[in-house]
Amino acid sequence: MTRPRRAALAALAGVFALTSCSGTAKPGPSTDAAAYQLTDRTAPGGELDSFTWSLFAEPVSIDYALSFDYPPNTVLANVCESLLRWNPDLTTSPGLATAFTNPTPTTWVYTIREGVHFHDGAPLTAEDVVASLRRNLDPAVGSDWAYPFRNVKSVEKTGPMQVTVTLNTPDATFNEYLAAAPGTVESAAALQAAGKDYGNPSKGVDCTGPFSFAGWTPGQSITLKRYDDYWDKSLRAKAKQVKFVFLPDATARVNAFQSGEVDGGWMVPADSYKQLGASAKGRLYYGRSTTVADEVVSNLQGPLGDARVRQALLMAIDRKGIVKAGVGGVGEVADALVTRNNWNNSPKDTVDSLLGGLKQYPYDPAKAKELAASAGVNGQKVVIASSPLDSQSTIITQAVQQAATAIGLKPEIDSISPDKYTALFTDPAARKGIDLFETFWYTSITDPLDMYGSLQTGAFSNYGNWSDPQFDAALNEAVGAADPAARATATAKAQQIAMDQLPWLPLYTEPVSVFLGNRITGLQPSIDYLYYPWAATVGAKG
Amino acid sequence: MSLALALLRRLAGTALTLLVTSFLVFSSLYLAPGDPVSFLVRGRSPNPAELAAIRRQFGFDQPFLLRYWHWLDAAAHGDFGRSYLFHENVAAVIGARLPASLLLVTVATVLIAVVGIGAGGLGALRRGSRTDGAVLLMVTVGAAIPSFAAAILLRSVFGVKLGWFPTIGNGSGLLDQLHHVLLPAVALSVTFMALVTRVTRSSMIDQLGREHVEVALSRGAPRLAVLRRHVLRNALGPIVTVSGLLVSGMLVSTAIVETAFGMSGIGSLLVQCVDQLDFQVVQALVLLVVAAFVLVNTAVDLLYPLIDPRVARKETR
Repeated sequence: MTRPRRAALAALAGVFALTSCSGTAKPGPSTDAAAYQLTDRTAPGGELDSFTWSLFAEPVSIDYALSFDYPPNTVLANVCESLLRWNPDLTTSPGLATAFTNPTPTTWVYTIREGVHFHDGAPLTAEDVVASLRRNLDPAVGSDWAYPFRNVKSVEKTGPMQVTVTLNTPDATFNEYLAAAPGTVESAAALQAAGKDYGNPSKGVDCTGPFSFAGWTPGQSITLKRYDDYWDKSLRAKAKQVKFVFLPDATARVNAFQSGEVDGGWMVPADSYKQLGASAKGRLYYGRSTTVADEVVSNLQGPLGDARVRQALLMAIDRKGIVKAGVGGVGEVADALVTRNNWNNSPKDTVDSLLGGLKQYPYDPAKAKELAASAGVNGQKVVIASSPLDSQSTIITQAVQQAATAIGLKPEIDSISPDKYTALFTDPAARKGIDLFETFWYTSITDPLDMYGSLQTGAFSNYGNWSDPQFDAALNEAVGAADPAARATATAKAQQIAMDQLPWLPLYTEPVSVFLGNRITGLQPSIDYLYYPWAATVGAKG
Repeated sequence: MSLALALLRRLAGTALTLLVTSFLVFSSLYLAPGDPVSFLVRGRSPNPAELAAIRRQFGFDQPFLLRYWHWLDAAAHGDFGRSYLFHENVAAVIGARLPASLLLVTVATVLIAVVGIGAGGLGALRRGSRTDGAVLLMVTVGAAIPSFAAAILLRSVFGVKLGWFPTIGNGSGLLDQLHHVLLPAVALSVTFMALVTRVTRSSMIDQLGREHVEVALSRGAPRLAVLRRHVLRNALGPIVTVSGLLVSGMLVSTAIVETAFGMSGIGSLLVQCVDQLDFQVVQALVLLVVAAFVLVNTAVDLLYPLIDPRVARKETR
């Protein structure tokens, strides 16, 4: 599942960016395939007193159960840890659980790591794990992560340092989600003491990560302090302190990088790639990501109900042009709704053979028009929802509008406020009368099922209520398969169907972007920053 | 009419204003499109029982008037409820952001008063001269610069290029805070400065042309004393009125400037909470602003008799 809210908050930032004339990215003359390269890791850094990091919005809470958005997860990843760990190369390894077994398809048994202490000094116990995981099931908590826990029947302590999760039906993704925020372990005592103030600016959190929560000035900043008794010596923090500042205005963020007031930040505004790429104050890096820009088809009752029209529309969208104009060439045209990185946990040779036969939709407006005409397209109206999120969003909207016109539809753009845009992702009433809207969809685990599961019949994020029995069957098979190769095969089959039927239109993939000021180094640019203690490796340069 | 009675009447008027406003805001939020529950459940698809539980928890299931009554009762006891967006008490949410906004508005007010009255007075005294021309030009240009444009310009020149001022944050400690707040305050007040300059200039020109002023001056009364006692004092009426309105309105028009300079104040808080339908915070903020409005205008009204004795005589008659 995903990130409706990214669109949301990035959106809010975008409005002000526009009013401040940040301008739209023009297609540069030199944008070609080699416009960017990915960096695995930057040079290791030394001991450092403190560094300052920008967030594009203030988290509303850092309660892990309510953390399902870039800002809270960027902070929390360094303070709280999960049973498993999502690494920079997008593989998964042991975290607060040293091992897990899957004795029956519906039973997962976790062995809890010994010798781990919470920031207040109390030792980690199986009770803490049980209390933390159960919160995702509690309606009173209202966890954002209820979806990964949808198949969970019970969470029980079954030994001094052992916890067993029983499922209603086999679900291999459940275990994978424990490497992300849903697998977070908080001290049961801290949860009890904070009550409903847990995770808010006055109470904060008390976890086991390399940094501890030190303070939160509402509207301004969150400060973390190094935790010296951190159990994993290889990830002991280089910096004594990290200060996260909230800068919703994209231009203000870029200015703060340029003036050296802020040492760095994830998610650099795309229209600043060029400016920051040439900055004397630091360097811009790109890293592994699972993000795909998609056009969601939210109404299958209208002209887009016919798969041929959706295929024609995708064929008529100049996706190479969007990548060039919208993100300065920093991205690739997407051939599916997930990135190739999402298959990293599947056996490599299986994947190569599985992903070969995907249906492609090369840019061909003439052929697209023919196809649309054969499906009876003749000046029907389609409504594209748009919000002034940032320059790339505007360019996507224009490209989709152009494509719709090219195949004989009559596109209409409905401009809505950024926060109302967020509501499109959560409120069916807000989607009424909207045929298309864009999203930047990332996955919280490496598994492609994270994405395709949201297109299953009746799924919350299946915005167009698309339904295909074969797709559902393939997906169920994948979710229940314990063997990675079998799971990959079934998932690939579901992907094949989705790419034939196009419930959503894949546009392009984009890497993670991060700016590092001249004072610091040591970062590993990767989307895993949402759940991995990325700030621990950041240290002084030189 | 005695002073006590006048004061009592004013207090009653203020209370009534606040009551009516609170009701209007409460009902307008209630009627606004969008369901706060959809924000509360975010990425989840809760079953009907869970939805009902959420509605009960936040009181969305009660009839409108009852909800209003509960809110009013609690507010009267100083409890403005809990922000579901920030998971904190409304008082704490607003309290954390109010000081920054107050400082911003105060500095802007001082700038408006000093620059506005100074430049306006100068223009009036040197009417038709080059100085006056410069003032008029400044007024025209100033009035045409929206605060976001001023913010970008100031930020890029004085913040990024010259590095004299920080471009982000609120600062800590009074001096540092003033250092942080100066650019935003200028950006915020440019238009208002122009407005007050214009009002001051025309109002003083009007007074300078009065017969008693001309007579006093022609008889050789000290120029400074005439200017102070007859011109400025009589001209102050409209200036104070306009300034009062501007200042009380400024408290919520700070959102854009706050965002541009990465400050957190109640302006951006209001925008955020309106968009996310955080009823409790919006309600408290609107009341706060209305209270500020009433307060400032009361202060202006109280100042009036001091500036112009004729008003005082009328009131006691």
